[in-house]
Amino acid sequence: MMVVLGPISIPGRFIYDFFHVFILPGFLVLLIAVILLIWAERKIAGLVQLRYGPLYVSRRIGGALQLVADLIRYSFQEFIIPERADRIPFLTAPALALLFAIVPIAFIPIAPGIAPPINTSSNLLIVLAVLAVAPIYVVLAGIASDNKFSFIGSLREVFLIISYEIPFFISILSIAMIFRTLDLSELVYLQSSLLWGALLNPVAAIAAYIAILRITSRFPFEISEAESEIVMGPYTEYSGLMYGVSMGISYIKLYIYSLLYTIVFLGGWLPFQGGMGFVGDYIIGSLVIIAKASILMLISVFLRAVYPRYRVDQAIRLGWSTVFILSIVSLIWSLVVSYLVGRWL
Amino acid sequence: MEVEKVSEETLKEISREMFVVRDTGVKEEGERLLELQIGPAHPGSGHMRILAWVDGDIVVRCDPDIGFVHRTIEKLSENRAYIKTIPLVERPSLLDTTPMTIGYVNAVEKLMGLEVPPRARYLRTILAEITRIASHFYGIGILSIFLGHSTGYMWAFGDREIMIELATMLTGARITYAYVIPGGVRRDMPQNFPDQLEKGLRYIERRLKEWEKIFLMNPVVERRLRDIGILKPEIARIYGVTGPNLRASGVDFDVRMAEPYEAYDEIDFMIPVAEEGDAYARGLVRFKEIEQSISIIRQALKKIPDGEIISPQISRLFNPLMKKIYSESRRVKLPSLMATLKPPKGEAVARVEAGRGEALFHIVSDGSPNPYRFRFVTPSFRNVILFKYLIPGHRIADIPAIYGSLDYFPPEADR
Repeated sequence: MMVVLGPISIPGRFIYDFFHVFILPGFLVLLIAVILLIWAERKIAGLVQLRYGPLYVSRRIGGALQLVADLIRYSFQEFIIPERADRIPFLTAPALALLFAIVPIAFIPIAPGIAPPINTSSNLLIVLAVLAVAPIYVVLAGIASDNKFSFIGSLREVFLIISYEIPFFISILSIAMIFRTLDLSELVYLQSSLLWGALLNPVAAIAAYIAILRITSRFPFEISEAESEIVMGPYTEYSGLMYGVSMGISYIKLYIYSLLYTIVFLGGWLPFQGGMGFVGDYIIGSLVIIAKASILMLISVFLRAVYPRYRVDQAIRLGWSTVFILSIVSLIWSLVVSYLVGRWL
Repeated sequence: MEVEKVSEETLKEISREMFVVRDTGVKEEGERLLELQIGPAHPGSGHMRILAWVDGDIVVRCDPDIGFVHRTIEKLSENRAYIKTIPLVERPSLLDTTPMTIGYVNAVEKLMGLEVPPRARYLRTILAEITRIASHFYGIGILSIFLGHSTGYMWAFGDREIMIELATMLTGARITYAYVIPGGVRRDMPQNFPDQLEKGLRYIERRLKEWEKIFLMNPVVERRLRDIGILKPEIARIYGVTGPNLRASGVDFDVRMAEPYEAYDEIDFMIPVAEEGDAYARGLVRFKEIEQSISIIRQALKKIPDGEIISPQISRLFNPLMKKIYSESRRVKLPSLMATLKPPKGEAVARVEAGRGEALFHIVSDGSPNPYRFRFVTPSFRNVILFKYLIPGHRIADIPAIYGSLDYFPPEADR
């Protein structure tokens, strides 16, 4: 299919990919989602905590301008590099962490019948692999800062991420085991013919959700950035725009992880099945999936209003003793379910 | 109370045995230690520096370094008239100012032999308890934010506001009331004050139930605070720990009971005591104290007698204008003689139970308009030693938890 614009003819696939990467699950919606998420976090926490602050700047639109103001402030603040910091890793680490947090968008399908820009039969594995790279750069940022607090903060991050990413991967893969596919689009298609992942294997859903809370630094696991303990964790020395980026990474990750969770456990764009042409499918399908992901994200940010943070050793113990065991249980559960499903089918 | 003498060797031995809460397997010195200077500009340090030596995540040694908000209240007061020190003594502990002024004024009254009329004593008691509630809410708020519980922080500061508003209504000032003056109080309570106070207390009571749900029964809070920073009663006694921290270790000592001042001997109340001595118990004791303070305020409001609010020894010095103001609006304008108040030669000691513990005031007078020497021991100064002994053996994340549970207020130590 070619789209003709005057003298230029553009392949249709190119337009789809552009739409995918830059608009719908891509950068634009991601930016809006992150901004709205931070706004919602402030509003929800403000509601519970009887705060007036979030309403102060722009009362008519619910204080949303505060975020724009923050963004402008971060953008124009001086960016200070500590004298003894290792400059190149210090500068590139947050950028690379951000990059590896965003790249999975290219692999995540968003609508029925429309393949993501990079479509392979093992999308799921690639997304997990790319997400697993990001923490390395977070740790690098901490170590390159030459600050004891950053150093300890980055060590904590390593411990925590290892103890929660493994259960997350296992529980996601246990769903893949039921459906015997690693293709995200096919996973959703198979869920429409059977049951949603969360219903087929609730143990995996619980384990993965707890792991998401930790991986994206939500309460009660907001440990690596614990302000009263180690200032800002790996990002203690960052200022200006780089601080804003470092802050934003966890929200971007929350968005990506929520999309992944929605596809694997909550049936993606189901119950919408597609069949309304390209535009209809794209819009309705992605609206359904983003609505589901938004509920997940809102629950995640709401927890800030309820819980304090765990201590690092308690969180690690919880990761290995409870969440890891849960994920192993979910694996066994999946074996049984997959056997039964195989017999039914 | 009988004071037991303890030799230094015994003390060291006890320290070695008692203060190691957990066997960490970490040696005192070694190459693995990393020195962390937490503060004086750290979000979790307050106006002080905590020097912590850590092995991995475990604190091996911890030294509190105080003195970053030096104020020299004691020295300043030696160049001032007695009456001008009243607003000074409330500066160090800005959050519960009234007990401090009561203590100082009691000492001055003892020096001068002033009798305080009963109504004034009750008014002082009511205000002291109001500030105690406000102070405890402040402490709980700080504990919450140190744990990362921002709801607790905002709620505590919001609820504290109610008590501050009430105190403002009574005294006319928001934080530093300087309400207590030698011989009485500065002014009588407004007409609608009892109603408003009752309304405020009912609100606080209602909130305490919600507090229980979100803070005390929160599983994460319990896991963060239980069995953390255990203070044993014998150690607490030896090191002179005071206030809720002492009572959370099972030592039933409160100046209001042991040596009643103002109207406390006419009021029926109890002292909450916990046995565990951990950080959770210290938080819990403060919540229970808020309940007791509410009951004290209610009783005091019920029992408060009519009558004068200033000692006749002072009111007879009033000039006609002062008398007119006093009789019309029940406000005390101090006679100019008070500016050059010359108590007789001698010494006086007074102690009070402030929000964070016992405060002791010692004035030496040489008959001149200024005190010859004024010594002032604040509860936080007596409690700061706990940093050294409670934190080692715990993790870095426990430093703010223990700090918050001690309700330590740095300026109070640096007077």
